[in-house]
Amino acid sequence: MTKEASTEKQSSETTKKCCSEDSRRRFIVVSTITVSAACGLFPLASGITTILDPVKKSTGDQEKVPWTKVAPLGNLPEDGKPAKFEVILEQVKDAWTTYKNVPVGAVYLTRDGDVVTAFNLKCPHLGCAVDYRSKSNDYFCPCHNSTFGLDGSVTDVDSPSPRGLDTMDTKVEAGVVWIRFQQFRPNISDKVPLS
Amino acid sequence: MNRFLDWLDDRSGIRGIVKEALYEKVPGGARWRYVWGSCLTFAFFTQVVTGTLLWMSYSPSAQTAWESVYFIQYEVWGGWFLRGVHHYMAQAMIVLLVLHLMQVMIDGAYKAPRELNFWFGIALLGVTLALSLTGYLLPWDQKGFWATAVATNLIAEVPLIGPILQKIVVGGVEYGHQTITRFFALHAGILPAALIGLVVAHIYLFRKHGIHVKEPRPKKDSYFWPDQILKDGVACLAVMLAVIILTLYFKGAPLGPPADPSNEFPARPEWYFLFLFQLLKYVPAFWGAVIIPLVLGLLILIQPFLGASRKGHQFNIGFWWCLLAGAAGLTFLAFSEDRANTNHGAAVKEAEWQASRVVQIAQEDGIPPAGAVTLLRNDHENRGRRIFAAHCASCHRYNGHDGRGYSVEEDPSAPELAGFASQDWLTKLLNYDHYTSIEYFGGTAFKDGTMAKKVLKKYNKEEQKLLPQVAILLSDQAELPYQESLTDEKRESLMDIFYDDLACIDCHDIDSEGEGSAPDLTGYGSKKWMTDFIINPEHERFYGKKNDRMPAYGRDNKLSPEEIEIVVDWIRLRPAVK
Repeated sequence: MTKEASTEKQSSETTKKCCSEDSRRRFIVVSTITVSAACGLFPLASGITTILDPVKKSTGDQEKVPWTKVAPLGNLPEDGKPAKFEVILEQVKDAWTTYKNVPVGAVYLTRDGDVVTAFNLKCPHLGCAVDYRSKSNDYFCPCHNSTFGLDGSVTDVDSPSPRGLDTMDTKVEAGVVWIRFQQFRPNISDKVPLS
Repeated sequence: MNRFLDWLDDRSGIRGIVKEALYEKVPGGARWRYVWGSCLTFAFFTQVVTGTLLWMSYSPSAQTAWESVYFIQYEVWGGWFLRGVHHYMAQAMIVLLVLHLMQVMIDGAYKAPRELNFWFGIALLGVTLALSLTGYLLPWDQKGFWATAVATNLIAEVPLIGPILQKIVVGGVEYGHQTITRFFALHAGILPAALIGLVVAHIYLFRKHGIHVKEPRPKKDSYFWPDQILKDGVACLAVMLAVIILTLYFKGAPLGPPADPSNEFPARPEWYFLFLFQLLKYVPAFWGAVIIPLVLGLLILIQPFLGASRKGHQFNIGFWWCLLAGAAGLTFLAFSEDRANTNHGAAVKEAEWQASRVVQIAQEDGIPPAGAVTLLRNDHENRGRRIFAAHCASCHRYNGHDGRGYSVEEDPSAPELAGFASQDWLTKLLNYDHYTSIEYFGGTAFKDGTMAKKVLKKYNKEEQKLLPQVAILLSDQAELPYQESLTDEKRESLMDIFYDDLACIDCHDIDSEGEGSAPDLTGYGSKKWMTDFIINPEHERFYGKKNDRMPAYGRDNKLSPEEIEIVVDWIRLRPAVK
């Protein structure tokens, strides 16, 4: 073997060694980062679903809204003036507690013969409780001055409320008014039930 | 990216900090034996994160603690897994603590100049154990409630201030809202804060003195990054996998029946406290809770000084091995004693039954504001077996036990009542050998009565073949929920046997007027018949004066009408276990 050749061989060996050393080191660094990331993310990953649980549970199933008895039809003024009634649900589940016969809100009911209209008491603007003003025969929100006509529509062009009062399904059976009580997303022009 | 890092570095010196953290020198090279500290940090980090997530759904009060944990376990998406990870990581932490401690002892890393850090380590051990202890009360289930009652009673053993200290910890004399809120504040606030403070000091001192390496050094020195971190990471991954496997295998952490001071429970602490539990069987509480921990604690604190000499170091290592062996031995004894004790096994099964029962009711009916404990207290199924155990099981048995699964030492002195009035039960009753056996009337005066000696014993083979038919007829009267009723035709034909072939009617009435000399079998085993019988077995319709020791529960106000109804319904509900 000539001297030159031997030097060449040596240098190629060094290159090989250095490259395998390099790739070994890269392998260690990549594995270390991977393993550390796995360990770092594990605690949050093991429970992130519990935070997302309420989003998962919103079914949007309108069929499930129960019919609830509100008042005898006779308790509504025959002249079509609104009257306010508490809505009491037979059963309400709040996370781990199940309550029986709980007031969950209120409605204004108006009647036209045997047909009953129900308005949710909450202003569609930002959810304050709306008053009925007998003097001007309209609904008025004391928070941001939205006004609504007896049919629930917005009466003032400058009204902060983007839509009229929210109606709910009603029926009259054996002289008793039933409604399907619901809440709706505030401050949008469409009436979208919360679920 | 680099420009942003430059900007950040100018203002924070972040590169220096990271460099210092990562390029810690590891003399003698990276080694597996150094991984325990990192594993513990990882475990604690996991506990902080998972604990905070649990906190988002947990409500600390006597009426909502169990209920919200039930909610996490059974209703929240992935809640059972989160609880499982928190539960098993807590246990992994105890194991890792022991490994870390033993590595430090064996390598001599506790000796000068690292005494202070050793003491911090021992303090961390104490805080971690306190976290475990306060943690398992929080679900407010039977296990947490009773185990904590024992633990807090031990606090009272502390001289002078013990009773006051106990009141402060419990938040009064009785366990309730204040106990939970205080334990929760300790578990999620004070103790983790203390732990973080101690860990910071511990790591600072560790960095100050560097890794203690045994000479001669096995390899050439290297750095924390990446060699040691990779080893640490792999070890953490192994811990993580172990916790995941445990969680999946046991389907999350257990949740016992809701805490109820009126409902007895086989109180046992978690496995890592079992040695202390067992120790208290042999030594007075004062010794177990005060003297022994104090002496051992003081000895442990002076170990860095003892370790200065070779002999002292050997003593220290020996001391810890003995302590571990002692704890392991006591733990083994505690387990094996419980395994040998059939009543303990029955009590554990009873608690498991209650736990699954209350979950079943909660899922069907929801939990009222008064809390889940009322679900079990009002549950007829649960009350039925408890009434039977308390009032009937001293003479009768139910599937051979007391109604709840506990065995009874004495032989039964009255009939077995599981499957009472069913066809199987009656077929056996009408066999002379069974009738006079301990399972039926063997323990009563009726063993030598007319029915046994003059009727059942005297039947010939042909007549004996008809007896199961009579059993079918009588059982039909009971209208048991798990048996089909007979057609009218079938009933008529069986009635013929009762009247004519076997002439039972000579003594027993059935659907007839008049007074037979033996119990009236009209509606035998039905709800009404059993209720009337339990109210007063001495009534002429039943045993009259021949009654043998069966108390008149209703007539003498030993049970309320409601309780009688509950136990009757319960006995009639299902057939005997074959």
